[in-house]
Amino acid sequence: MIGNSVARRFHRVVLGVAALAVLVPTVAACSSGSPSGGGTAADAAAGSPKDGGNLTFLIQEFPAGWVSSESNISSYEGNLWGEITDKLVYVSSTGAVSPWIATSWQTEDNAEKYILHLKPGVTFSDGTPLNAAAVVDNITLWAKGDPSRGIAKVGLFPAIYFEQAKAVNSTTVEVDFSKPTLGFIPTLGYHGSILLSPKTLALSVNQQANLTNEIGSGPFVVKSFQTGVSYTLARRADYDWGPPALGHTGPAYLDSITYKVVADESTREQAVVAGDAQADFNVTPSDIPSLESQGFTVATPRYLGFVDGFEVDADAGPTASLDVRQAIQHAINRTQILNTVYPKGWDLAESFIQSNVPEAQNDSALFDYDPTLAAKLLTEAGWVLGPNGYRTKGGQTLDFTLVPNPYVPSTEQEDELIAQQFAKVGIKAQLKIVPLSDYASFAATSAKYPLLSVSRSFIDFSTVGGVLTSVNGGQNWFDLGTSDKTLDNLSQEIESASTTTQRDTVASQVQQYVLNQGYFIPVVQQVQRIYLLAPNVHGVTYNGVAYANFYTAWLS
Amino acid sequence: VTDLAIAATTQPSAPEAGGWARGRPYFVYALQRLAQAVVVILLAYVLSFVLITILPGNAIATTLGNPQSGLSPAQVRNVENYYGVTKPIIVQLWMALSRFARGQLGTSLVSHQTVTSLIAGALPYTLKLAGTALLISLVLAAVIAYGSQYLPGKWARSVIRSAPSLFLSVPNFIIGLLLIHYFSFQMHTFDVLNPDSPVGTFFAGLALGIPICAPLAEVLIANLDHETGQEYVLVARSRGLTQARLFARHLVKPSMLPAVTMAALIAGELMGGAIITEEVFGRNGIGSVMYQAVSNQDTPVLQGIVALAAVVFVVVNLIADLLSPLLDPRVRLGGGGRREVATP
Repeated sequence: MIGNSVARRFHRVVLGVAALAVLVPTVAACSSGSPSGGGTAADAAAGSPKDGGNLTFLIQEFPAGWVSSESNISSYEGNLWGEITDKLVYVSSTGAVSPWIATSWQTEDNAEKYILHLKPGVTFSDGTPLNAAAVVDNITLWAKGDPSRGIAKVGLFPAIYFEQAKAVNSTTVEVDFSKPTLGFIPTLGYHGSILLSPKTLALSVNQQANLTNEIGSGPFVVKSFQTGVSYTLARRADYDWGPPALGHTGPAYLDSITYKVVADESTREQAVVAGDAQADFNVTPSDIPSLESQGFTVATPRYLGFVDGFEVDADAGPTASLDVRQAIQHAINRTQILNTVYPKGWDLAESFIQSNVPEAQNDSALFDYDPTLAAKLLTEAGWVLGPNGYRTKGGQTLDFTLVPNPYVPSTEQEDELIAQQFAKVGIKAQLKIVPLSDYASFAATSAKYPLLSVSRSFIDFSTVGGVLTSVNGGQNWFDLGTSDKTLDNLSQEIESASTTTQRDTVASQVQQYVLNQGYFIPVVQQVQRIYLLAPNVHGVTYNGVAYANFYTAWLS
Repeated sequence: VTDLAIAATTQPSAPEAGGWARGRPYFVYALQRLAQAVVVILLAYVLSFVLITILPGNAIATTLGNPQSGLSPAQVRNVENYYGVTKPIIVQLWMALSRFARGQLGTSLVSHQTVTSLIAGALPYTLKLAGTALLISLVLAAVIAYGSQYLPGKWARSVIRSAPSLFLSVPNFIIGLLLIHYFSFQMHTFDVLNPDSPVGTFFAGLALGIPICAPLAEVLIANLDHETGQEYVLVARSRGLTQARLFARHLVKPSMLPAVTMAALIAGELMGGAIITEEVFGRNGIGSVMYQAVSNQDTPVLQGIVALAAVVFVVVNLIADLLSPLLDPRVRLGGGGRREVATP
């Protein structure tokens, strides 16, 4: 009896395995199937914009929800916010600031006082006027948040010296700071500085979480949505206040934009290739060449900010030595990283800030790949090669732990390669993987890691002055405190500059100094958002924080 | 929970006094089962809370601590303090429990929507999928069971008898990927961008229903084998009943009881499987809400979903337990005469 049942069971297992053997190759074939056909290769001569049509935009998720003070951190919601809201100024992808809802502004009292002149006649989609009072409500919330409602301030808003915002008359706003704050005007074009109706701002956080309550003044309004499925925006016919810098100020060309949530990357890509959707957010970088060869546009807009790289602990351990820091600077083969980890569309770092920042200069000669120089510097610093291929000094091995930044997943591949490149000059390095959920607490207590990955955008160069040292409550990236007087002075000069011309000179000096001292080890320029567009989509523009504007887009 | 379910369905515990027909003992039995159910739900709620909360980090720090936010640790801590996520675990647990006792599930720490509205928004999609899958699995199980008895040819019957083992051993995501590949990408039967269309729901239900029908079919087959050997079947046959009539009138009903008791287990598999199937087919539902809650350590949302799962599981068990003595008079509460129930 028992033998019989075992035999039967065995029989069934064999049948099951046989069936799997048939299935598995099919699945493999399924996953390797390349997207086929679809795109008409030639992007027809654009011609003049046409009205109408719906653009279907595929996106992985909207993970952060719709509380504006928090969702501006996520890379996803900003795509929708940008279409339903306006900003006071427009910042282009080259960092140029131009009028939008603020038609002009004056800087007074050494950049401690700003007067904004607003465009008259602008309304939120619920009919409320976008006047000085509404702007005051917005600016005050960006600067201070509301701790009693659990609303955080807008992180990048230069609020240290913020005193107040007040309405002078219905179209004039005065904003006062206690010290020069040059970053104020450019920050008004940041994707966290979106203008919302005072009614929305007054709601509780739980009510703000409901997209229906988000009332902006943008070229589109929320028409309908099913949470987690699709979100439809409709054009606002009376919209007449677009940024003049985009060459178009009237209503949007598109009738509607439909955001569809499709979690799977390859499904999104295939849907655009098949013509079922016109845009896709964040395609697999390695698919870019194949998509472009089929006639699709893949945009990898740069944001303004710091490049992808490391901040160095210049206070303790081996990296307290200038020779070691400079050796690291020259031990990294950035070209190899670019060619191995990143496809077409990425660029080498030229400074520690992205090259589209107006103040950026090309200082790449200060950190070119030179393993011989790196080895020489290390030997001079007393780190001698041991029999195992690693350098030691006083019995201590030159050893680093690299922690990939979970917010930029490709840094893991980067760090693996860097560890190999380090080994060539006798530096030992290993990776420590910290999951996203632990990274925040890790970053708060990460003083023990001499090389720490940086990913940070900014919209104005003044942010740089606030991170270099601990002067004026700075973030002290290099653990120098106030020990490096040169850097202290440079930071203070950046922060206290009251004109951009004055600041430009300092900006140039600080870039050279930081790179020469090996305080910041740049790797490549950061790309955070990738847009795949069908060949019939025209006129898409990208702002300074690398978001696409579909306001100017049209379909042929 | 599974062990408890089986124990509860096979060994109804009740006072010695008499059968259920007297009313009062059945009432006491029902009350006991209800009390057990409440305890199980509370335990699931507490356990899920403790498991998530003892992990390092929290939803607020993960969201606002993104270096892109530009917020200083002190500013992040302000918000953390507002939501109480830095309080001692026991205090947080007390807050969560007292909220739960008032019937509130709290709000998401990430999107700040109420957990109730998040679940209410996603649940219909999951119910639709699970319902479709259940229907498909019932039909499939019945077809397999019928085939196992009456398919002409011993070889054919043995093949169909091995179907449940095959179905059980192929994970539903593989079935899902195959269905998407052939029916959506190649034959364009449904559009992957509209997974909630009737055809899309059918295929997702099929992917989920196939593995689920397996244990159901096995129980049916085992019981049909058992019942076919009974004397009353021989008698019925001798009276000239057709096979189909015999199957439908005399064999299905007694074989159903163990299938009802299995419904609780199936409910669990449906819920677990629905989450994976939703991911594969890109459907909205409890699965995607849960996936995000887990990856963001969004404790209130995750607890809400665990509580919901516990409620569904316990309620289905409870119904099965309470129905069994009513369905089959031979199932007595504590008395003799319990019939053997064949399980695979």
